[in-house]
Amino acid sequence: MPLRVIELHQSILKKNVTLARELRDRFSQSGTFAINLLSSPGSGKTTLLEETLRRLRAQFRVAALVGDQATDADSVRLAHSGAPVRQISTGAECRLDAAMIGTALTGWDLADYDLLAIENVGNLICPAEYDLGEDLRVVLFSVTEGEDKPLKYPLAFNTADLVLVTKIDLAAAVAFEREAALANIARVHPGIEVLEVSARTGEGFDRWITFLERRVKEKQRSPVAAS
Amino acid sequence: MRGRPACVATGLSICIRNHILTLRRTQSNDTFVHEISIALNLVEALTERAETEHVAKIEAVHIQLGKLSGVVEDALQFAWELATKDTVAEGSTLVVERVPLVVFCERCESERTIRGDPILVCPECATPAPAIVRGRELQLVAMEVTDAPASH
Repeated sequence: MPLRVIELHQSILKKNVTLARELRDRFSQSGTFAINLLSSPGSGKTTLLEETLRRLRAQFRVAALVGDQATDADSVRLAHSGAPVRQISTGAECRLDAAMIGTALTGWDLADYDLLAIENVGNLICPAEYDLGEDLRVVLFSVTEGEDKPLKYPLAFNTADLVLVTKIDLAAAVAFEREAALANIARVHPGIEVLEVSARTGEGFDRWITFLERRVKEKQRSPVAAS
Repeated sequence: MRGRPACVATGLSICIRNHILTLRRTQSNDTFVHEISIALNLVEALTERAETEHVAKIEAVHIQLGKLSGVVEDALQFAWELATKDTVAEGSTLVVERVPLVVFCERCESERTIRGDPILVCPECATPAPAIVRGRELQLVAMEVTDAPASH
């Protein structure tokens, strides 16, 4: 029996591509600036996000979604900022995908929010492949993770729009080689913007907040062009 | 008519738990979990299409994996067996075309293949080359099938 060839020519993650597009449209229509934060476990996403939400709440209507394979510890911490937070339990999945975001947004009117922060599962491999419809993809890594981190996770760093080097207050203690780290980031993503911060001491944090303020306002003015 | 992939039926976590010990020697938990998720996505897309096309059996599936796709082929092949069990794609061959990482160097005005680590720097003139031409593919190209006999 001869075999028939059925041509497909579609993304293996076609479903996610389609759903992400729908999310992006929704965020455009409501003028909501969406950010997707990726990092390995322990890089400081939650602490950074908690402080970020606290600082931005005065000026903007902010909300957060947190993805974790287990516990709701992160969403509880984030709720201390005063912003509405929802936990997404991903179970066995090592990443958030567009379907999960869509489901998690049920009951929220996006028009009520200027900024939606999505804290992804702590993992730099799986999440890199899944578009969540975000305007800004931020990859974090801390000074304790080593200068060659970007080389080990090229897809995550390559698909990012911004790199945050975190816990810079610990740089001296771990003899962090800053120039080598910046050079490695440039090697996997030439020209990407890098900000160095410490959520704990506040060093560099103003620049991060100013960056976000500018982007959120841009989105409000021209929702499609800003994403 | 085949049902949903066995892993989805029994639960992804059970699937992984049953097989992760085998893989722990060869690679990290993270990469395997990623590939099984990819494989399940693939099988779902294939079984949906197979149904509308009245396919009896999928014999081969052709995909493209870019160097920068973040998917490890060996892990995906292992995951394929699990993901296709009890589906119309069971026993099918997963044919992988690996696509190299190719960038466009503005200075050389030509495409350059990046060998080794995925560094976006021209291997000839060492200028940063962020423009990726090929290498991000995670593409389902085609499937080879045997059709169900036509009903009279």
